[in-house]
Amino acid sequence: MDFFKKSLDPIVALAIIAVLDIFLFQIVGAWTVGGGETMIAGLFVRALIGAKALNRIPFWHLVFKPTWAYWKIYISLGMGFGALVSAILSKEFYWRVPKHLSEWIMITIGGLLMGVGIRLSFVCNVSTFLGLTPEMNLGGYLAVSGLVIGAWVGSWVYKRVLEA
Amino acid sequence: MITVVGQCVAAFVFGTSVGVLVQRSRWCNTAALRDAMLFKSYRNTKALLVAMMILTLGFTALISVGNGNPMRFDVGINQFIGLFLFGIGMVFAGACTVSSWVKTGEGNIGALWALLFLIVGLFLSSLVWSFSYWPPAGQTMTGHPNLAGLQFGWADALTLQRATGVPALFFGIIQFLGLLFIYRRILHRERATAEGMNPTPAAASVPAADRLTAPPAPSVARLEPQTNTRSPL
Repeated sequence: MDFFKKSLDPIVALAIIAVLDIFLFQIVGAWTVGGGETMIAGLFVRALIGAKALNRIPFWHLVFKPTWAYWKIYISLGMGFGALVSAILSKEFYWRVPKHLSEWIMITIGGLLMGVGIRLSFVCNVSTFLGLTPEMNLGGYLAVSGLVIGAWVGSWVYKRVLEA
Repeated sequence: MITVVGQCVAAFVFGTSVGVLVQRSRWCNTAALRDAMLFKSYRNTKALLVAMMILTLGFTALISVGNGNPMRFDVGINQFIGLFLFGIGMVFAGACTVSSWVKTGEGNIGALWALLFLIVGLFLSSLVWSFSYWPPAGQTMTGHPNLAGLQFGWADALTLQRATGVPALFFGIIQFLGLLFIYRRILHRERATAEGMNPTPAAASVPAADRLTAPPAPSVARLEPQTNTRSPL
């Protein structure tokens, strides 16, 4: 199929995603990833330490009771699945492993900071730009400000590290 | 009313479509911010702005006629601080929440590693959540302003429509025009950069539309903006 032979203009891709997101907003709610990842974290830890131990932690007892019946999980799983199918059909699937220790360290710190940020704010980059802000939520504007300043600080540090 | 299974199926179909479209377009939210700041390259930024413009009109139009499912979301300082940390993290990891799933699907072990540590960070920080103290305390998140708890209540296009009686779409159009202004400023900057790079008469004769598609030169020689090739992560 031609679609999988050439790359797609990101403006076209994001415009299509936006139209689909409007339908999702009408059916169930706007596109978000952080909520699904929070639930996946709860399910993951529940599988490791058991439901009784997890229930003793107030957050997982009062705010996010782990359940597979949470629609936001399936957006995340769908993105991974769609990318896998697309990568295979376009012959772009291959194992990529970071080569340098510094990359592993940066990715580890980055992943931890993203997790802490999602937990603290109850929102991720997708729901910030493509959920809350289009809904004109004040939290979206606060989150966009924080994200842009954070990305600027991160870019400054990243540039210094790579140039060192 | 859609069932729980229906919600999950709709979400999976939407997620799969996003996975395919992002994989084929190489769009990345991290690159949309990082490349604009480091390299003055706006390929991903323009796509993000277009999506925000479409969504602003779509969401506020649905809200205006009493449809859609806006998030009932408590606004607080925690959104600023949390996304500040998230912004640093996504640049360090070289992937946001979308691209980490998409790159994992393409076989990128670094992206999978970022996802695993995102889950670790999420869980560790969940241990300090409390119902009675910040950050952000459950008892202060009531949908109403609570300045002692650094919470401002619920404020969005729907609450604005209820408070003023003016359809949410009116406010959406104002936001749309603001985003369009930023988009046009980026096009203008790209045009100026392209003209600066090609000052010869021959280059100046290239149609403006073609000049806009030419990527600007990176300002930092050792770092390159994301184009059509994959970054390490």
